[in-house]
Amino acid sequence: MEVNDHATVRTVLGGDKEAYGTLVARHSQNVFRVAFRITGDEADADEVVQETFLRGYQRLQSFESRSEFGTWIYRIAVNCALNMINKRKLDATYQIGEETDPSQKQVQVADTSAGPERTLLSREIESLQAAAMRNLTATERTAFILRHMEDRSTTEIAAALEIAPNAAKQAVFRAVQKLRRSLAPLRVNP
Amino acid sequence: MKHLNEEELIDYYYGESESPAAIDTHLRECSGCAKDYASLTSDLSAIVAAPTPTRDADYGAKVWQSIRSSVPVYEVPREAPRKRSSWFALYPMLHSWSGGLAVAAACLFVIAAAFFAGRLWEHRNTPPSLANNVNGEQGKQRVVLVVLGDHLDRSERLLVELKHAGPSTEAPLQAEARDLLSTNRLYRESVKQAGDPALASALDHLERVLIEVSNQPAGLSQAKLDELQKEMNTDGLLFEVRVLRSRVQEDGDSKRNVAAATKGVSIL
Repeated sequence: MEVNDHATVRTVLGGDKEAYGTLVARHSQNVFRVAFRITGDEADADEVVQETFLRGYQRLQSFESRSEFGTWIYRIAVNCALNMINKRKLDATYQIGEETDPSQKQVQVADTSAGPERTLLSREIESLQAAAMRNLTATERTAFILRHMEDRSTTEIAAALEIAPNAAKQAVFRAVQKLRRSLAPLRVNP
Repeated sequence: MKHLNEEELIDYYYGESESPAAIDTHLRECSGCAKDYASLTSDLSAIVAAPTPTRDADYGAKVWQSIRSSVPVYEVPREAPRKRSSWFALYPMLHSWSGGLAVAAACLFVIAAAFFAGRLWEHRNTPPSLANNVNGEQGKQRVVLVVLGDHLDRSERLLVELKHAGPSTEAPLQAEARDLLSTNRLYRESVKQAGDPALASALDHLERVLIEVSNQPAGLSQAKLDELQKEMNTDGLLFEVRVLRSRVQEDGDSKRNVAAATKGVSIL
């Protein structure tokens, strides 16, 4: 029978360090997924996973048994990923040459024919989406990813980002508004 | 009814509207809002998450292996000695005494007298150089921490470069590795003597990698780089070095704070 997370946490706090490995194995895939979605980079996501579980271990005594370990470690992961993208922001070189020429944003998504043109088109859309996401602030981007891709509620987003629920909601609104403005050229006119 | 604004539509789209039924009705009746909502839905549904790269089944085990040497074992909290019972025994006595208040006042007086006597004694007996010695020792420790932090910082940069290195970048990497190797030996020995096993083990691991990097007569081939990453777990080492660097930095900061806090002592 699988031992539940709370019992494993008690075992770790009781002096069995190795038991933490079970928690890492159980939650690392989820943590990696959210880390990758927020950072957008595989190597950074791996680093966030390590950092998350390390911080989780160090703060294990503050883990309250009324919450779920998965939710708790998820929040730490969001925080670590957010720190990572803030750190990466300093290194602005990644943006060189990635800004799409506005004149090339006029694409027609209604064309459903397959082939190289279609592939090129989806790459163009992906590139525009990526550029639009980069234009968001770290908080807006994370809030939007948690809301739109991770299907988290405003309360959960607020807890993960350690901000007020209203601030979390506003971050999602601003993200949606900015993304819609950036992706407007992709819209198919009727 | 008033038209729906974008925020209300976004809330409704994500199922967080306070009155979804009313919005539903309004969208059926108002073509303008229905059009706005259709546009919002179309925009948001076009934004999809990029596929997440897969991680194999033993990913968790690998993550744990990379951090397990950096975490301590939690100690089981022991029961505090039962000294409290004597205080509890005193309590009813104090409570019953009519002069309890007088006893408390006397205790306060004794404590205050001891405090002032202590201050006076400290003034007369503390050698003037003591505070300076303490600060001097702390200053020395701070210098050691700063230098060690710098060494770890350089090592981290080398490991990052190694991680992204191609076979053509070997020359500067090897020169840096040779440079770091000699200092690393010194630090490893001192850290071992100072009794810090985690730091000593990391520096030992780092030394083996530095030896491998600096002792390749034909330069670093792609195969050698791959071998270093796999067999010597340079990614794990990089993480270990990062953890230690932040620890050393924190130690340095706390030493600085202690030094700042003891500045007043030297004036006495």
